[in-house]
Amino acid sequence: MVSEAERREDLLARVERFHGVSFEQVLGEIEYLRDAGDSVIAGGSLAYGFGNHLSDLDLLVAGPTTVESSPVPLEHFVGSLRVDVWKFAQGLIEETFDRAEEALASESPLLGSFGDLHHEDELKLLHRIAFGVLLDGEGLEPAGERDYCSLASGLVVREYAERMRASALLAQLALRADRPIAAVVNARLAVEEALNAAVVRRGLPFSGDKWLRERLANQTADLASVYKPFRQLPENPARDAPRFVEEAVAVCTEKWALDLDIDALVPAARWRNTDLQVMEVGTDRLLLSARFGALWSLNESEVETWHRLVSVGAVEPDATWDLGECDAEALILCLRLHEHGLLGLHWTNGVALGNLEGMRSVGHEADRR
Amino acid sequence: MKPIDVDARRYAWCRGHALWIVGMPTHIFLEDIQGAQRAGQDGLLRYAARMIGDACAVALNVALNYERPIPSAAMRSSWALERLQGHELWQPCWELIRGTEASADEVVARCERLVDRVCVIVGEMPNILTPEGHYPAIAMARDWIKLMDAVGEKAPLPYNWTLPT
Repeated sequence: MVSEAERREDLLARVERFHGVSFEQVLGEIEYLRDAGDSVIAGGSLAYGFGNHLSDLDLLVAGPTTVESSPVPLEHFVGSLRVDVWKFAQGLIEETFDRAEEALASESPLLGSFGDLHHEDELKLLHRIAFGVLLDGEGLEPAGERDYCSLASGLVVREYAERMRASALLAQLALRADRPIAAVVNARLAVEEALNAAVVRRGLPFSGDKWLRERLANQTADLASVYKPFRQLPENPARDAPRFVEEAVAVCTEKWALDLDIDALVPAARWRNTDLQVMEVGTDRLLLSARFGALWSLNESEVETWHRLVSVGAVEPDATWDLGECDAEALILCLRLHEHGLLGLHWTNGVALGNLEGMRSVGHEADRR
Repeated sequence: MKPIDVDARRYAWCRGHALWIVGMPTHIFLEDIQGAQRAGQDGLLRYAARMIGDACAVALNVALNYERPIPSAAMRSSWALERLQGHELWQPCWELIRGTEASADEVVARCERLVDRVCVIVGEMPNILTPEGHYPAIAMARDWIKLMDAVGEKAPLPYNWTLPT
C-alpha cells in the first residue's frame, strides 16, 4: 500500500524530472486563485502514476470557504508544464456527491448525467476528491459519514455498465440494420466499457477511456488478455461483424452477469425523436428535421415504416417510443436515423449496482490480491 | 467576390464544428501519441491514434459534405465513413479507427500525415495547448462564435470561454 506521502513525493519527483519544475513554482503560479483555507489537490494521470512528460497537471483548488468557483479549467504554464486548475467551493463538491448518492440509489438511468463521453468532468472531479494527492492545505473533510471513494467508484461503475448496455444494444441493432462498421465499433466499445468498470471496481481511480490499455497492461494484467481479441476491428466488417459482436457481447455478459442479448435489452430502451416529420410534396415524401436543416427523400417502404412509427406516437417533436413497439423494418429505420444523430436512445431504467453480479466477482478478485 | 456554395447557416455550423473537432481534440490526441511514443506507452498511443482517425473522418464529412447534425460518439465513425466512401482519405481514417498494429513510429507518422492533409481541407487551428497557441485559438473561437451568432446558430464551444458575459 502506497502512503499519501509517498504518492505526493512520487508526483513531485515526476514533475521535477519531466519539466524541471518545483512544487514551490507550481504553488506560486496558482497562489492567486486560493482563498483562505483552500487546499490544493492533484488528480489526473500524473497524480495517479502513469502520466508522461506531455501530460498536464490537473489541480483542484477547494475549501470550505472558497469564494468563487470555476468549473471551466484555468490553464497555466510553468515552464513546459501545463497546469489546469479547477476551483470549487466544497459546498458545490458536496452537492455533486449528494447527486451521486441520489443517482446511485435511484432506478433511473444514470447514463451521461455526470458527463458524457467527451466531457467526463464531474466523474473526474469526484475521483480527484476521492483519490487525488493532497499537495497543500488541510484537505477536505467529507460531510458526515460520507465515503468519497466508494461513491466515486460506484458512480463510474454504474455509468460504464450503462454505457456497456447501450453499446451492446447498438452493436446488435447495427448488425440487423446491415451497418457492420457501426456494429463492430460499438462491440469494441462495449468491451472497453465493461473493462473500464472492472478496473475502477478494483479500487483504482477513474482516468477516462484513453488510459484503459495502459492500465490493463500495468495494473490489471488478467483483464488485458480479455481485451486482446478486441483491440483491432475486423479487417472486413461486412464478413466478420456477426462473430465479433457475438464474442464481445459474450465477454461483457460474462464479466458483469447482465443479460445483454438484444431481446433482453429492447424492452428497456426507447427512441426519442428530435423534430423529424414526413412532408408530402406532390408525389415526393421528404423526411425533414427543421431543427438541423436536414432533408431526406424516403422511398415507399420507408414511408410506410414511418407511418407505423407515427401510429405509436413517434411523430411529435421530442416524443419517445419503445423499441419493443418497433417491427423489424422500423428498428432498422430507427437505427439509421440514430446513426444520423436524428433519434436519441434512452432507457427506462438504470443498471442498479445490486444487479451487477460482476461487482462481486471483480471485487473478490481485488480482495484476494 | 467568390461565392460560397452553401447557405450561410450551414456553412458556419459545419465549418465551425469541423475546425473545432480537428482543432481541439486532434491537437490533444497528437500530443498524447507523441508523449506516449517517448514514454513507450503503447496502449495510450493506439487509443489516441484511433481517436485521431475518428475525429478526422468526422471533420472531413462535415466540411466536405456539410452533413449535420453530428451523431453520438458511438455512431459517428460509421456515419462519416459511409459518406466518405471513394475519398482518398477514407482508407487512412479507417485504418486508424480500426486500430493499427503498425510500429509506434509508423502510427505517429500516419497520424501526423492524416492531420496535415485534413487541415488543408478543413483549415488550421492554433494549438490551444501551447503557450503561443492558446490565445490565438481563443481569438479564433471568438470569431467563429460571432459568425454563428450572426447566422442564428449555436457555437460548439462554451460561450464563457470567449465572450464577456
